[in-house]
Amino acid sequence: MNDFSELENELKKLRPAPPSPELFLRVERALADVTKENESADNVVRPERFRVNWVSLGLGLAAAAVLLIVARIEINRPAKQVPPVASLTPVPRAKPGAINNQLVPAGFTQVVYNMRDEGLHFADGLDQPMRRVRYQTHETLQWRNAATGASLRVSYPSEQVELIPVSGQ
Amino acid sequence: MDNVATHEDWKVCFPQFAPGLLLFARQWLRSPADAEDVVQEAFVRFWRRNHNVENRALLYATVRSIALDFVRRDSRRARREADASSETAGSVGPQFEQLDDSQQPLATAVDRLPLDQREVLVMKIWDELTFAEIATALGISQNTAASRYRYALVALKKSLQPQ
Repeated sequence: MNDFSELENELKKLRPAPPSPELFLRVERALADVTKENESADNVVRPERFRVNWVSLGLGLAAAAVLLIVARIEINRPAKQVPPVASLTPVPRAKPGAINNQLVPAGFTQVVYNMRDEGLHFADGLDQPMRRVRYQTHETLQWRNAATGASLRVSYPSEQVELIPVSGQ
Repeated sequence: MDNVATHEDWKVCFPQFAPGLLLFARQWLRSPADAEDVVQEAFVRFWRRNHNVENRALLYATVRSIALDFVRRDSRRARREADASSETAGSVGPQFEQLDDSQQPLATAVDRLPLDQREVLVMKIWDELTFAEIATALGISQNTAASRYRYALVALKKSLQPQ
């Protein structure tokens, strides 16, 4: 028993005012309305366009993640080490009258996001040393169907190693 | 989800909980009709999402949240409630049935408690929630709930002592 047990007993003797009789009916009606809403929601036929294509969404997010990683690497590189970062081939013009229902190459983009000079390298069979430079790039190929306007784009990372002859001085 | 309208348990639970929920809601709402609106909305929302009536803390937290939204929704109402909840105004709080002369001073003293103490007292005395449930409903620690309850009892005892 604590010091307040008598006070607590007095408090418990106070009875909360009861709710009005209508409240029970209102709650019953509200719960019935909820059921009707649920049933009508179950019967709704949702248009196909509102359904999520999870495969496409996943591929899109993966592509976005790769681009973010590439962008982050690019930001972190010192400016002086950045070689020409991108090259873009001109979009070929279709000859008049040659439009057919095929995908034709429409562009090629190469982004060099890292270049590393690996120093001198002595290749087999060569007397002259070579300087080995490694390029890490991201290349994008694009095709386009001029008749339908459809396009196809493929992006992939690539790595190139260049051997540069070093002249002895 | 179960069919809530045909789920008969609510007809057993609601009459049991309603007086305490109304008493709890009346701390923020002067009008009994407003308090009933809040209790109705809270109970329906609770019942739709969680049929487990053992989770009383969630039920009371729902009532509290909807009551506070109700007060904020109308600035005039909010001002009125703020005025009413001041120490001098009193009488916004718990409403009790059939008070005799000996009970009236105690009910008045309860009405004059600070809101943070009064809500703990209401949940503890008339709704019989544990301090753990009160703490969950109010988003406070159990120690805080217990100390607010004790402060409320001390204040009530003090106010009932003859001057």
